[in-house]
Amino acid sequence: MEYEEKTGRAHRPLSPKQNVRKNLDFEPLSTTALILEDRPANLPAKPAEEAQKHRQQYEEMVVQAKKRELKEAQRRKKQLEERCKLEDSIGNAVLTWNNEILPNWETMCCSRKVRELWWQGIPPSVRGKVWSLAIGNELNITHELYDICLARAKEKWRSLSTGGAEVECEDAGFSAADREASLELIKLDISRTFPNLCIFQQGGPYHDTLHSILGAYTCYRPDVGYVQGMSFIAAVLILNLDTADAFIAFSNLLNKPCQMAFFRVDHGLMLTYFAAFEVFFEENLPKLFAHFKKNNLTPDIYLIDWIFTLYSKSLPLDLACRVWDVFCRDGEEFLFRTALGILKLFEDILTKMDFIHIAQFLTKLPEDLPSEEFFTSIAAIQMQSRNKKWAQILAALQKDNREMEKGSPSLKH
Amino acid sequence: MQKHNQKEHLYKLLVIGDLGVGKTSIIKRYVHQNFSPHYRATIGVDFALKVLSWDAETVVRLQLWDIAGQERFGNMTRVYYREAMGAFIVFDITRPATFEAVTKWKEDLDSKLVLPNGKPVPAVLLANKCDQGIDVLMNNGIKMDQFCKENGFVGWFETSAKENININEASRCLVKHIIASESDPVQSLEPDIIKPHLNSSKIVSCSACFKS
Repeated sequence: MEYEEKTGRAHRPLSPKQNVRKNLDFEPLSTTALILEDRPANLPAKPAEEAQKHRQQYEEMVVQAKKRELKEAQRRKKQLEERCKLEDSIGNAVLTWNNEILPNWETMCCSRKVRELWWQGIPPSVRGKVWSLAIGNELNITHELYDICLARAKEKWRSLSTGGAEVECEDAGFSAADREASLELIKLDISRTFPNLCIFQQGGPYHDTLHSILGAYTCYRPDVGYVQGMSFIAAVLILNLDTADAFIAFSNLLNKPCQMAFFRVDHGLMLTYFAAFEVFFEENLPKLFAHFKKNNLTPDIYLIDWIFTLYSKSLPLDLACRVWDVFCRDGEEFLFRTALGILKLFEDILTKMDFIHIAQFLTKLPEDLPSEEFFTSIAAIQMQSRNKKWAQILAALQKDNREMEKGSPSLKH
Repeated sequence: MQKHNQKEHLYKLLVIGDLGVGKTSIIKRYVHQNFSPHYRATIGVDFALKVLSWDAETVVRLQLWDIAGQERFGNMTRVYYREAMGAFIVFDITRPATFEAVTKWKEDLDSKLVLPNGKPVPAVLLANKCDQGIDVLMNNGIKMDQFCKENGFVGWFETSAKENININEASRCLVKHIIASESDPVQSLEPDIIKPHLNSSKIVSCSACFKS
């Protein structure tokens, strides 16, 4: 190191060529001194022949470097062009969404053209609006209702911190201890929601917003309360919608059958969802399915995290948002289709792994998932099993379950 | 040279306890030798694998199951207990409620899982975040020793994932007890008191694990 530094200093004032080469990105620095300089006075001089050879080698290196540089410049130019193209297409998509689709939502949302555009990913600037429209507001929640729920939550926080919780517990069917636990859990989980983004943590710009939405929800639905995973869903909505609209989308989203089954931890129904998932797993990826069976790798090991957080914890955020886009379009079946897409994408390596390595892999997916390959893989998953669609398979399994429960009440759990 | 007469054990270990007590942090410290204050909440279950060269003849592979702490998931996570050979139950010494939950976790564990010989699985209690200096629970170790005996823990440790305190020690303690319980299958259906007649060179007694 020191040697390099010294020679570096020594040759700086020297050759005029140096200035020319300054413009190059690539500079075979450490070799220059050796080649273009005479040896220090205390050493014998380079023979002319050797000096000639070194000069030649040096020239070759420069030619190579230039070639490389040219190639790099071409690559960058191409990249730039692609980015411009992408930005153009996003720009065009924004126009289409804003001017054509959103004003005519009811008539257009199901058209083939819109569905195709939707699959490409919704541009971030209209994403929140599209999600809101697609999720809908079956629960008829108004901004006023949000304010009321939030005010109640704040009241509770105050009374908890002053120790007045006991007064309230009599009129509600849910014990003060439970509620207190819920609020405590929210506090603990908020700091552990996308910690790397540093916006939801104490002092971050969205800390209070996330706190408010989750708190308001426990007042709106005390029967559900706060369940881990919710903080991730609320956080993604906050990133795309204003607070009250995020609350409305959040409450309606959690009210969907699949989400209700999971967030109320309805074990029987969750198992039915897993069973339906396995029907399509076997149909689409029979070899991997057999490998998972052999290794006792049940869906609850990897699906729980994926479904509870709608992939927002396990996928990079931009990919997760694209999954949410299509989830808003296709409903719950897309969550399971995405799971199969992930398994398909990594089928080759997963079939070579044992239990613990598969479990580790699936609960911590690679951070650099290639988005195009990922969606190609999802697109290749068929959500039809012997002419039956997801909803039909699920309904049939639910019916079987109900009959089994009726038939042998002792098995009910 | 010893390779072919090396024995390999594979143990599934559960890491359970209330939400936010530091289960994930302990595992990350133990397996990856690092700590971050920025771990995400665990939903469902996460996994890690730790390989120990136990002694010249034995390699121990530990499959660590890091199970989400919210009580609500209890019903669902029972399937994760299946075939576990040992457990760490973790609480946060700065939050008394998480200590109160320890007996609940232990009962839950014992009600859902017994070893093939009918005994409860060895469990070690971890009093985590001991670096925080707000030790609201343990004014003396004797009380904790008593607590462990009453609740059937084979040992307890004050740990810190942040400062890397006692995590390796706790794991060695648990593994010792697992190996001991494995090598003694006849000791079935007995209450989990360490018997004086056991070969003490093979089985390290509990008090060796207890901190005084």
